[in-house]
Amino acid sequence: MPARAATERIRKAIALVNSVADEAGDEEITPTEIAEAIRDCLEMSEVDLVPNVRRYLGEALDAVSDGMPADFVAMTLYAALGALREGS
Amino acid sequence: MVIEPMPERQSASLALMFAGGSRLEDDRLAGVSHFIEHLYFKGTSKRPTSKEIADSIEGVGGFINASTDKELTAYWARVPAEHMNLGLDVLFDIVTNSKLDPADVERERMVILEELRMYQDQPQDYVQNLFEELIWPGHPLGRDIAGTEESVSRLDRDDIMEFADARYRLPNLVIGVAGALDEGPTLAEVTRNLSLRAGMNGSLAAEPPPPLESPRVLIRRRETEQAHICVGARALSYLDPDRYALDLLNTVLGEGMSSRLFLNIRERLGIAYDVHSFTQKHRDTGYLGVYIGVDPKKAVDAVNAVMAELRSLTENEVAPAELARAKEFTKGRLRLELETTNGVVFWLAYQELLLGEIKTIDEEIAMVDAVTAPDIKSVAAQVLNNPMQMSVIGPFSRDSAFRLAIGA
Repeated sequence: MPARAATERIRKAIALVNSVADEAGDEEITPTEIAEAIRDCLEMSEVDLVPNVRRYLGEALDAVSDGMPADFVAMTLYAALGALREGS
Repeated sequence: MVIEPMPERQSASLALMFAGGSRLEDDRLAGVSHFIEHLYFKGTSKRPTSKEIADSIEGVGGFINASTDKELTAYWARVPAEHMNLGLDVLFDIVTNSKLDPADVERERMVILEELRMYQDQPQDYVQNLFEELIWPGHPLGRDIAGTEESVSRLDRDDIMEFADARYRLPNLVIGVAGALDEGPTLAEVTRNLSLRAGMNGSLAAEPPPPLESPRVLIRRRETEQAHICVGARALSYLDPDRYALDLLNTVLGEGMSSRLFLNIRERLGIAYDVHSFTQKHRDTGYLGVYIGVDPKKAVDAVNAVMAELRSLTENEVAPAELARAKEFTKGRLRLELETTNGVVFWLAYQELLLGEIKTIDEEIAMVDAVTAPDIKSVAAQVLNNPMQMSVIGPFSRDSAFRLAIGA
């Protein structure tokens, strides 16, 4: 799968967001850490191979900075992941 | 009138089907057809209470009911064949001799208001109402058949009587009878009962909905556990010759557990619990829609997956085996529907009232068989060329990701 690395990074970001959404884990995860994980995804050129992936990631980043609920951020990340899957 | 003798059956089904339904109502009268349908079961001069109406049919083991649609209103009964005359008598009694008692109007108004509120608490249904608002914005077709809380609260007895007088007339009526019956005596009994007034042109004079300019998303925020989504586009009318291709497209896409949506989105991706497609057709318009019940986190992902399935139907022809399966599914469902006298009577009366001609089951099956894979691809392209519309109920306060999914 040509977008495997990007897929992995998006999954990692989703796992972080989900741990906030599910209130799991011992350590508190900050919005800054989540934003960082999304920026890591945006740095990958693979996200430009499939339409809308970069835009969903951008939406997710905006949602983090706007203080939207973790579920909402997770939804846009899943959308990015799904778009990558459909495009690949 | 349409009569279908089915001598091997034990029952007779009767339907009085009137052209006109909620589509003919302006904003002030929204819901009046449905209101009338309710009131007609409250009592007549001959059977003064709803209990007496129900008892007369249920007392012989039969069923009686009615339904209001956007382009028709139907009153029907299914009775043991030897009680067919009783069934006709009761149906004609309620559509010609109802009391429309002012106290019943007030009581039924409360019942209908509760009915409207009940649907708002059923997101699977309510999301489809919202979808129809998007598909036919500002048009009676886009409104709930039962009207709005405002219109139902306002309708008075004069409005109801005036509308009923205009619509419940002979040119608007198709009478259907099917079952163990003899044609001659049935016709004589129907003629004896006919006391509706003539006059008024029975044809549908409703305005067509204006074209849609762009894709749109409507979100109704609710703290639901699941997201409920309807996504789709305007499609074909029931008079369009390509409607058979549309029906097969719908079958391939999302009818049943072997459809593409079910297999790919539920079984393969595991994204949604309920995903299926559906069509609605009217005289001059229609739509193809997909319903998705999904974890809110996967909502946009599921929409993207549905859009991918839709696009695939415009890009590739349906494989011969899949087309053959869809045809057998469609023909089989039609045959099963026509097993009962009720199924037959509705099928015939609907065709006579709305299509203006009656096809036999063999003719209908031949039309299904004639559809080719390129026909389906062409109809898919036609439908997807229309702007996509999407309604969403769920815990969402922002629509940007949804808009991105349908290019809105």
